[in-house]
Order: sequence, then C-alpha cells, then structure tokens
Amino acid sequence: MFIRALAACLVLIAAGAAHAAEDLSFDATEFQKKAVEFGGYVEFKQQHFTLNQDGAIYLLNFYQDPRKTLDQSTLTFKPSGRFRQGDASLVFRAHLEADWETRGSDQTARFDELYASYKPNPGFTLDAGKVSLKWGKGYAWNPVAFVERFKDPNDPELAREGFTMLTADLIRNFEGPLRTVAFTPVVLPAGPDVNPDFGVGTYVNVAAKLYFLYRDTDIDFLFLSDGSRSRRYGADFSRNLTSNLEIHGELARITDTQRQVTTAAGTANLVRGEATSYLIGTRYLTARDTTYILEYYRNGQGFSEDEMKSFVQFVDNAYAQYLATGNDTQLARAASLGRSGYARPNPGRDYLYLRVSQKEPFDILYFTPALTVIANADDRSTSVAPELLYTGITNVELRLRAFFLSGRSGTEFGEKQFSQRFELQARLYF
Amino acid sequence: MCSRVCEAGTVPMLRVLLAAILFLAALPGLAADANEILRKVDRNLEPESYEMYRKLINIEPSGARKEFVLYSVKKGRDQVVALFLSPSSEKGRATLRQGDNMWLYIPSVGKPVRITSLQSVVGGVFNNADILRVDYAVEYNAESAEEDKDGYLLHLKAKTGEVAYDRLKMWVDRKALLPVKIEAYAASGLLIKSLYFKDIKDFGGGIRRPAVVETDSPLYKGHRSIMLYSQLKKRDFPDEVFTLNYLSRVEDLRK
Repeated sequence: MFIRALAACLVLIAAGAAHAAEDLSFDATEFQKKAVEFGGYVEFKQQHFTLNQDGAIYLLNFYQDPRKTLDQSTLTFKPSGRFRQGDASLVFRAHLEADWETRGSDQTARFDELYASYKPNPGFTLDAGKVSLKWGKGYAWNPVAFVERFKDPNDPELAREGFTMLTADLIRNFEGPLRTVAFTPVVLPAGPDVNPDFGVGTYVNVAAKLYFLYRDTDIDFLFLSDGSRSRRYGADFSRNLTSNLEIHGELARITDTQRQVTTAAGTANLVRGEATSYLIGTRYLTARDTTYILEYYRNGQGFSEDEMKSFVQFVDNAYAQYLATGNDTQLARAASLGRSGYARPNPGRDYLYLRVSQKEPFDILYFTPALTVIANADDRSTSVAPELLYTGITNVELRLRAFFLSGRSGTEFGEKQFSQRFELQARLYF
Repeated sequence: MCSRVCEAGTVPMLRVLLAAILFLAALPGLAADANEILRKVDRNLEPESYEMYRKLINIEPSGARKEFVLYSVKKGRDQVVALFLSPSSEKGRATLRQGDNMWLYIPSVGKPVRITSLQSVVGGVFNNADILRVDYAVEYNAESAEEDKDGYLLHLKAKTGEVAYDRLKMWVDRKALLPVKIEAYAASGLLIKSLYFKDIKDFGGGIRRPAVVETDSPLYKGHRSIMLYSQLKKRDFPDEVFTLNYLSRVEDLRK
C-alpha cells in the first residue's frame, strides 16, 4: 500500500518536472561563497521488526514483555553550518532525534561535531573541539579506526558522533613516485567530564596518522598511545589495480585487550592478551555499472564460535530458571555480559561482507538497487539485506530496505533480537 | 608474351610502392602534427591551471531534469578537484583526480574513497572522466589526422588501459582550434558517447571556448547531459590542494 503511494508520488513529481522548459543559461554569481552557511537534512524512518522469539538477545530484552513484532518510527533532524572569519571558521553538525517505539519513546540531542578551525594555508589546518575523524580504508569495518565511535556495517556511510580533541593536518606534495605526505596528530583528553565514553580512566591520549601517496597507492601508518584505550598500531592501504578494480586493506595490532568470556554455567572469566585485527577488501565495477564490494574482516578481539555458543547456552539456562522460579538475576547478569560484548554488532571473529549494487538498471536514472550480505564466517549465519534507493527528486533520497537474518541455534545471526526487519527511509536535504 | 604485361604492370606498381613509402615516411610527421593540434586544443579549451564553475544538467526522455553545480580547479596537466555546491543533497561532496587516480569525498562518510573513471558521481551520461577531465594530450596519442576545408579529424588512441575511452574521434575547428564534436569508443569499437561543443564565448583573460558541452549516448537512449561553463579563470594553486586530506576543505579556495 505504502509502496504504491510512493510510486504514485514519484510519477506525479516526474511528470511535473517534464513540463519544465529547457533553460541552458548559467551564471555562477549566485553560488558565490558566503560567510555563513547552513544546511542539513530531515529524515523520517519507519521500521517494522519480526522478532526472533527463540533468540538469546531477544530473550534478554523481551523476557518481561514477550511479543512477535515491533514497530519503530524515527524522526531525525541534522542541521549543519559554518561561520567564516578570515582564516578561521566555526563548524557544527547537530543531531536531534525522536524515536517512537511500540513500548515507548526516546529523544536524543547532541552535537556530532562542533569545532573551531584555523587554516592559514592549504598545507596546514588546526581543529579544536568535537571532531569526527575517519581512519581506515575498509568499507564495512575499520580495525584502524582508533579514535572513532562504532561504525555500523549495516549503515557504513552514516555520519557519526566525534570526540573532543585538538588535531592538526600538515600536507606536503612532491614530484616523483612519492607525491604526497600528510601528518595528522591528535590530542584527545578523556575522563569523567570530557569524552567519558572513549575509554577508562583519566588520560590525555595521543594519536597520529601518517599518510603517503606512493606510486599511486594510498598508505597510512596509525598509532594510539596507551591511555584510556590500550596502545595500538596500524597500517592501511588502497590502490586501483585497473580503472575499475580497487583493493584495500587494514592491519591493527592492539597491545592489551580484555574480554569477559562466560561459560554455559555463567562463570565469567576475564581474558587478556594482545590482538591483531585485519581486513582485506576489493571494489570492482563491471562494464554494466554493477559495483561489487567484498571484504573479509578478522576481528582479533572477537568471540570464538564456542564462546558464543556458551553465552547462548547461559542465556537459555537463565531464561529457563526465570520461567521456573520467576528469578531473573541470572538473566540480568547475562544482559550485562551482552552489553559488554556478546550483544554488540558483529562480536565474532571472522566476517565476510558482500555488497552488490546496480546503478540505474533498465535506464531508470538515479535508481540503485543493492544487495548486502554480512556473514559470520565461523558459524555461517548471515544477514541478507536487499535495498532500493531513489535519488531522482532534487534534495530527496528515498530508501527501502529489508533485512533477513538466518542461522542455526547458537549462531550470531540466529540468536539476534529480530529475524526480519523492513525499513523505509525518506530524507529531505535543505 | 610476358614483357608487355610486365612492363605495363611494373610502372603503376612502382608508383604505388613509392606512394606507400612516402605515405609511411610522412606518417610520423602527420601524427606529430596531430599531437601538436591536440596540445593546442587543450590549451585553447582551458589554461593549464584554472578555476571555474560548471552546471551539469541531466535530462531524461520524459523531460525531467536534475541539475548539479560544481566548482572546479585544475593544476598542471593532470590534477583536478571538483566540489559540489548544489543541490543541497550533494553539497560538500568533492572529487579529486591525480593522473589515473580518482577519489570521492562524501561529508557524511568523512573519508575519501577511490572511484573509477567509468563511474559517474552525478548519474546520467557524464562519467567521472568527463567531469574530472585532464588534458586530452595527457591521456591520448593522436595516431592520425584527416583534414578538410573546415578543420581536422583527429584519431586518438588511449595511452594506457586506465583511460576511460579507448579511442576518440575529435573534430576540430580549423580556425579556432577548438573541438566541435568528439566520439568516444570502447576497445571493442562500441560508440560509448558523443560530445558536442557549442556556444563559443569569451571568458576574459584571453580564454575563448565553448560554454556548452552536450552529450548523448546510444547506451542511454533518449537521455541527454549538458555541461555549462561560467567564470573560467586562470589561477595558480599550491600542490597541497590536490591531496586527499584537503578534500574536506576545497570550499576554502573559493573567493
């Protein structure tokens, strides 16, 4: 019903545009730079979930309020702006969100970015404030993203909240095989009052990225000092092998990781050690404008298949105890363990990501269908997400997506909170 | 019996042979002239380093159209940056080209990703190679040229397999030494698109070139894409502008 209404709207708008007279004049004067600029978008998202009533994560979240489905409406307003004064500017990007879900509602208001920037010349920039840095070459995951918030592989292009920091950018260009060198130092304080969710304790964290464009290959070396998070080193690269084939990779070494691993009986053990995470991927464009993105991700801090199974067994036992006695103490413990790792997106060790998108099939301009598959390579559970994107109406983006999760009992996607999810998203830019 | 035939046949054969030798000897010269014409076409189209504004219009068979406005800067023969100014949904996106390397920066994604010359950041008939065009002489060798009273027809061959089109046929106006029409072919010989250069305009500073480039393609039947030029000016930029780290700040170049 909704899709029919949407299609009717599109046809009406396209028909209206068809009657516009052809105007081939262009005077760039109206696009001159302004001292103050505003922009952003308003987004409405409607989601329908079919809950996975046998799933461990479902049991943790719904044991007191069992249900088969869940509906959620989200209205997001993301204004952004820039005020310029000489070589300095003030930049902001805000995030205002209201959620209405079957069980209740929630609101969020924050600045994703708010910083002052000083750029005396193209080779030097200094930013101070809340900045969202993006490190790494991977599309779905970035093991070298040492100073960022979590990236959702289901929405890798979504803007994320930054951290408060002081950062600079120094760029130099050269003739010859080494064309560019860029250095990005970062000073990131963290404690109870500033960046409290960056890590534990009170520290002034130091990070840096050194970039080279060498023989047509992007190469980064990355570092984060020991502090709120343990010391970590990394490297990444990206290169076009041919005009339609790109390869990329990331490698991160983390000197000290901690994981709470539980047995089926609920005995939690703290496992510490070094971890190596890496990613290798490729992006390929065919002559028919089909883009393939394929990535393999090794999460060195992830849980093994057996560890995941033990956690699921613990939840099942705790739920059985709750049903028998009404005592939810063990379920509360399991929920706490879930929040610390097991219930986070992609908590496993080995993942495969495949995204196939077809640009403008059947000569329908601005229409891009896509299919995304995320698989836990250890337990062979999967998330399959077909998607339709239409951007043919100026400043409007319409996206329809569905997620189908499948996997045996005890597997990552087989134990998620929902088994199906349908999502309609309409975004209006201004 | 043979002598008359042989004598009568020998003279024309020698003439053909001689003509062929002369033609072959002249070929490098013709190609050299064609490459010289190509270099002049490059400089007449744009200064080596410049800034300009462009409007891209995609027109569908129904007449529906979508417009994009870009601010572009170029330095040297193969470094180009383009920043989207409009519509709002694309504002802040920036593309960089360094030789065969191309990247796209999307503000929400926050980091540049590599793109290919055959993709299109705007949809429609123009692809990235058209939008981030570098000098033709950087990517193509003129293998031969034909000449008539109005101009030249240059037969161009891509220097490497990285170039978006394997071959170009470029019709050049003899007097203005500006392209009139270009046909772009794939390695298979398939015509990918035709570009039409129209409305020669004086941009000032000695720059006089077509203000309109229109394209159509047998692969997009009924679709047209148009590129309109404005405020094309010679301007020098530091090399640091043409780097990944600078893509989020291209707006600062505008005055």
